[in-house]
Amino acid sequence: MPTLRMRMPVFVLSGILFAACNGESDAPLVASDVVISEPPPGRAMSAGYLTLRNNTDDVIRISGVDSPQFGFVEIHETRLDDGVASMILVPELLIPAKSSVSLQPGGKHLMLMRPIGTPQNISLSFYDDDILLLNLQAAMTRRDN
Amino acid sequence: MSARNLIIAIILGSALAAGIFVAARLNQPAQLQHAFAVPAPQPLPAFTLADQNGNAVTADTFRGQWDMVFFGFTNCPDICPTTLQILANAKRELMDTHLQDSPRIVLVSVDPERDTPDLMGRYVDYFGDGNLGVSGELDELTRFTKALGIYFEKMPADGESYSVNHSAAVLIVNPQGEFSALFSAPHDVANFVHDLPILMSAD
Repeated sequence: MPTLRMRMPVFVLSGILFAACNGESDAPLVASDVVISEPPPGRAMSAGYLTLRNNTDDVIRISGVDSPQFGFVEIHETRLDDGVASMILVPELLIPAKSSVSLQPGGKHLMLMRPIGTPQNISLSFYDDDILLLNLQAAMTRRDN
Repeated sequence: MSARNLIIAIILGSALAAGIFVAARLNQPAQLQHAFAVPAPQPLPAFTLADQNGNAVTADTFRGQWDMVFFGFTNCPDICPTTLQILANAKRELMDTHLQDSPRIVLVSVDPERDTPDLMGRYVDYFGDGNLGVSGELDELTRFTKALGIYFEKMPADGESYSVNHSAAVLIVNPQGEFSALFSAPHDVANFVHDLPILMSAD
């Protein structure tokens, strides 16, 4: 199962085209509250936060995310165990039917690594294997949580 | 006593009791809701690290002001910048509403291998003026963190992309240079805004 995607063409293998922009609130998978935080000076990694809403009657699985502005994108999770913070790779994100999952500071989040240049406007694509689920665009913003 | 007088007496008695209760509540010192105050504030150990300008950082550096000390690293994309932004927001709110001398924000790197003074300087400046970025030799860092019960561990990985697990608490150091309180993660601006004035007024 691919969890790390380099830039590649999108192959839609399913008969159902899930892909939707984040403005279409009745789409099968909808993103909201998207924040791509700019990295502090001298750092290259950005963190991404958003809420994903599954409007379908089935579980939606996200197994990969990519962006033309970054070498690779992964879903990670910050965990706190006995006061110690650690970060783990999330190989797949499951969004239950008719439910939302939030990626937020201190929890699950997107890790955007190896930026190409100094991107300001970010495109993100979410996949279940090779099935494109969602495209979205967001501006890189200063962290202010 | 007539029934009318009895009712008046009951009403007056109730009002008096309520007044006494409210007065007692108002006279109670404010209580900490989130921070753990160290019963006997603990002097910092002997150590020598460096700030973002290459100046020595020792226990004496922590004398003369309140400090909010977080242990993290600049390559940490989530909890470290999140925590520093929370501290920066709390500091701004405290300066606006409560305190003229709000605490200094201190980031101590648990990744001295990669966090050079220059990098630390650019990183902490991003979260406001007057912040202190501390890095240095691993053995000196370990001397400092062990004495304070701070844990960190470099996690094995390929190449430069390793991560560091680390304690996520924010330690409060009083102007006498003593570790005096601790905020446990997860952090929230409101926790600091509520409890820091109490800690600082009790010193």
